[in-house]
Order: sequence, then structure tokens, then C-alpha cells
Amino acid sequence: MTSSENAGAEPDEGPSPAMTRADLLMAIVFIILSAAVLYGSWTMDRLEVRRIHPMTVPGLVPGMLGAALLVCGIVLAIRSLRLPAPNGWADLAAAITSGAAGRAAAVLALALVYTLVLVGRVPFWLATGLFVFAFILLFEVWLATPRRALRQSLPWAIGLAIATAGIVTFVFERAFLVRLP
Amino acid sequence: MLDGLGMLLGGITHFLTPLSLFNIVWATLLGIVIGALPGLTATMGVALLVTLTYKMAPDQAILCLMCIYSGAIYGGSRTAILLAIPGTPASAATTLDGHPLALQGKAGLAMGLATTSSALGTIVGIVALALIAPLLAEAALKFGSYEFFWLALFGVVISGKLTAIDDPLKGYIAGILGLMVAMVGMETLHAHQRFTFGITALGGGVDLIPAMVGAFGLAEILGVMKRSAQARIVSSSDRVVPRLGEVLKYWKTTLRSGLIGTFVGIVPGVGEDVGAWASYAAAKRSSKEAHLFGKGSQEGLIAAETGNSAVVPGAMIPTLTLALPGSAAAAVLIAAMFIHGIRPGPLLMTESPDVLYQIVAILLFSTLAILVFGLTLTRPLLKVLAVPRERLMAVVYVLCVVGSFAITQRMFDVYVMVGFGVVGFILREMRYPMAPLVLGIILGDLLDLNLRRGLLLTNGDPSPFFTRPISAVICLIIVLTILMSIPAVSKRVRAFFTRAGGASSA
Repeated sequence: MTSSENAGAEPDEGPSPAMTRADLLMAIVFIILSAAVLYGSWTMDRLEVRRIHPMTVPGLVPGMLGAALLVCGIVLAIRSLRLPAPNGWADLAAAITSGAAGRAAAVLALALVYTLVLVGRVPFWLATGLFVFAFILLFEVWLATPRRALRQSLPWAIGLAIATAGIVTFVFERAFLVRLP
Repeated sequence: MLDGLGMLLGGITHFLTPLSLFNIVWATLLGIVIGALPGLTATMGVALLVTLTYKMAPDQAILCLMCIYSGAIYGGSRTAILLAIPGTPASAATTLDGHPLALQGKAGLAMGLATTSSALGTIVGIVALALIAPLLAEAALKFGSYEFFWLALFGVVISGKLTAIDDPLKGYIAGILGLMVAMVGMETLHAHQRFTFGITALGGGVDLIPAMVGAFGLAEILGVMKRSAQARIVSSSDRVVPRLGEVLKYWKTTLRSGLIGTFVGIVPGVGEDVGAWASYAAAKRSSKEAHLFGKGSQEGLIAAETGNSAVVPGAMIPTLTLALPGSAAAAVLIAAMFIHGIRPGPLLMTESPDVLYQIVAILLFSTLAILVFGLTLTRPLLKVLAVPRERLMAVVYVLCVVGSFAITQRMFDVYVMVGFGVVGFILREMRYPMAPLVLGIILGDLLDLNLRRGLLLTNGDPSPFFTRPISAVICLIIVLTILMSIPAVSKRVRAFFTRAGGASSA
């Protein structure tokens, strides 16, 4: 197998210190999850009343998967502990608090407000318009490098917000007869 | 054979209607645009479009989705060449030689060669699809529960291994997580509700489409918006339509890459990106101009583009005959087929053999459309690349919400989409591949049902899982695959082979 050497843009140098530490955190999450799944499968109804064969209980496969994830989680944890990761925690903290992560968090915050708060409470077209408007302004005027002038972005934000809200609502409600949320 | 040819002709004439041709044109064009826009992938495009097509007749819906799929895989090359950003992961290998060619003032030639190679790659795959699928479907009729259990496991394991070459452990974890998701809801053997925690909406399990829209839509939006740098478009002024000599000069590479791509497509859950990388690596190994690779080699570009396009028809082989998705986008296609009452699997060739040949015909038509659009619409496609992502991504997210809501019309599916988007984003940032996860979700039921059904048939005796010849072979492959991903084992095996005669490079 020589394709790993051709991974092109990303030469294979092993995981970075921050990734090694992040792996440890994920390993702990996986171990907890697998323990929960194992417990859930073990205590799952074995349907003895219906006299099914004990090898066909509903908890069989989830239990096997829980065990498999447990093994993988432990291997991941051990590997991450054994690899040297100088400055790993500091790097990981820096990655989580970086501007890039902030931008992702901003997208997520907008998406969550739109999906969980606005949709269902205000008419769909209004929620959509507000979301598109806020998204474009936020990322073009405040979170962009170089930033755009507000009066340059504003017409686009308003125009696209109205267009998206109008077209999506019209196409789905009229053409596809979908009752929008 | 003659029978097959007749059905193929039937498939082609089936779509020679104005409506079908219209659908082919817009869907392929939309696919190319989706592929060319960074942040919109083929899988996401197909997943979002399921909503738009679900009121269509089944054949037209599949036609649109297939055209979008193959169009998007091709469209990514445009971005790779002009922007040095792969428009979809499938064209990551294309950037290596495509962009240097563009910088040398040969952007037109690069785009032209990418177009013809994509078309030729798809043709190689189509021939394989028409020849292999009927044979595989016939063989699959002999498969029982035991074989299907192993096949499902094989799909998840091989996908985990090959989509995370640097770190197969993460691929396996992604696969297990996907299988776990599939365990939620009513199981099919005893109709028992598992892990529903009293939530009625979970009774039917987690639907694949909202999950895919989240993992490939929202997660992708988060990933794209995270970056702050913008790329510059290289302008092109040279001729786009390549000469016949330029296309045929590397015919051996084209044929080899087409076959490699098809093979990668057949392997479950291993998609276009791996097809392109594998073809690229093989072309570099056997090329007389290996030193040019990465610096604007036409051969490298041809290999990458032929390789990724051949995966599309290749992926349809296991998808149609075994219901084992050959790629992530094919997983969405399976879900879409079920929505439209087409049941892929071994019985497809007996129940409705025309479907296979219709898909062959669709791929032929979309290839033709790609050729025409790719060689003519250079300027309009440049405009597409200039769309600012800040404006695009806002609209895409709205489509993600509507797309996951529209099929069953419940807000629950939108929450599933958001959940999968967030978890998918975190997993991607930590280099967990998405394909095994998706494959796990779609194969979980098959794996669970067939394991327990097999055990029920033998009254709890697991031996047929290991003694039936096909089962034993698949089981052996799975064990070897897992063993080889343990560094200590693979190092020793390689050392052994190197000592034994240097044959390990094969």
C-alpha cells in the first residue's frame, strides 16, 4: 500500500501534539458511551415471555458494538498516552479558542437560533430572511478579513434575504406542496 | 449477452423523451455547479435533491439524482484546476497537477483534459457496470443470512480502513458509531424498540437523509466558514477543447485509472477520493515522466480525473446488486430508491432487471452532457467560482433545514440534521472519516437482522458463519484487514515479505 505516501498536501508525520491530546478526550467519551451502550444492551428486555431463542435477543448486536467501541476507545486512549505530546494541552486550548473555531461557533450559534428558536415560532419566510440577513452581514462586515463596508454588504444581505425567503417558501409550498414548519 | 444489449437499448430509448432530456440537462448542470462550488459536495447535493425529486416518477427521480452525482464529481475538477481547492474531496488529487498546469497558462488544456478524462473514466466504469452487475446479482442470489452478515461487516470494516489510511482506528470507530446509530428504533426480528427512551419519533429509527444532510451539509458549512482565507482564481485564455492526440497520448494511463477507479467503486463505502488517489499513485509508479508529477503533469491530471469518475458507475455495482453502497453518495441513492419503491439488492435483477440498464443509460447520457457542458461553458462556470461563500452558505443552510424537514414533515428530522451536523463537524475536525459512519447507519439493520436470523435458523449454532465457503472467505478478509491495521503486525508482515523477495510493494 503506497497510497499513504501520496496523501499529497498532508505529509504523514503522525498526529500533532494537540490532536494526540484531543484523541485522549475523545477516547474517554467513547469509553463512557460504550459503557452506557453495554449497560443498555445487558439490561434490555430479553423477551423471555415470548420464548425467543436466547441467541437472538435484541440486545445482542448493540452489546457487541458496545464491546467493540470499548476496545477501540481503550486502544485510542493508550496510544494517545504513549505518544509524546509536548505542549499538547496548550496547543489544543489554543486551537479551541482560535479565530477559526470562533467563526465556526458563530455559524453554529446563528444556525441554532434559526432552527431551534425562530423556526416554528415566527413564519418560516421571516425566520429564513432574518437568518440569511444576519449571516451575510456578520461574516462580511465583522468576521471577514479584509472586512467589507457596511453599505457595500447591506444591499446584498437584504436582497438575498428577501430572495431566499421568497423563493424557498414559494417553491416548497406551491410547487412541492410541502407544509413548511 | 444479447439479452443485455437489448435491455440496454431499451434503457436508452426509455429516456429519449423531451422530459427526460430536459431533466438530464438541468440535473447535470446543477451537479457540475454543486461540484464546482467549494463546500458543496456530491453527497450533500444528492442528499438535498432527494427532497426536490420525491414527488417525481421513480425513473425520473433516479435520473436526476444520478446526473447530479456524476456531474458533481466532475465539477469539482474545475475548482481544483483554477483555485487549487478541490471542489469536492474527489478532486483533491486533481489539484496536484491541474493547478500547476493552470499556473503555466494551460488552464484551458487542463480543463479540457479533465473533461475528456472524466468522460472516458465513466465509460470504463459503465462497461464494467453493465458486464459485472448481472453476474454479481446472480451470484448474490445464493447468499444467505450468513453471507449478508459478513458482507455488511466487510463493508464497514473496509470502508473504515481505506478512508482513514493514516489512522484506520478512527475509521473503525466511525463505522461502529454509525452501526450504533442504526440500532436505535424498532428492530426487525422481534419488533422490539431499542434505545428510544420513550421518544416516539425515535421508534422508526434515525432516517438516513436528515443524518446525511447534517453530516455532509451543516458539518461542511461549519468547516468552510471556519477558514478565513480566500483563494484567487487563475484566469484562462488558451483553448479548452483538447486535440485527439492529447487525449489519446496516455491511453494506457486512462485505461488503468478507469479500471482502478471502477474497482475502488465496487469496494463498499470507498469513494471517489480514494479512486483518484489510487489511480494517481499507480500512474506515478508506472510513468516514464514520474518526475513531472505534482508539477503540472498531464498524465497525473488524466489519472486523477479518470480515476474519480470511474468510481461513480463502479459504486453502482454493489449498490444495485447487494444494496451495499459503493460510496457515500450511493448510500443516499439507496435511501432515495427505497423512497421511490425500488428495492436494490440481489432480487433487483429478477424483479426489475430494466432498472440496471436504465442506470447504465442514465450514466451514458450524463457523460455526454458533461462533455458538452465541460467543453463549452467555460466562462459561466468561472462566474460560479466567484460566488462568495458568505452568501452561498447562508442559503445552503436554509436548504439543509428545508431538505431534512420536507420528506416526513416533522421538526424531529431537523433536530437530527443539526445533531449530526455538530457531531459530524467535531469528528471531521479530529480526522474521523464520514463514509464508514454513513455506511454503518445504512448497513446496521442488515448486519443485525442477518446475524440473529442466521442464529435463529441454526438454533443458536454460529458455525455456519465460519464454515460456509463464501462466509469463511469474507470473514478471513475482515480478520486480515483488521490485523493489518495494527502497526506492530503490519510492520512484521512487511518486513517478512521484504526479506522473502521484495514483493511487498505490490
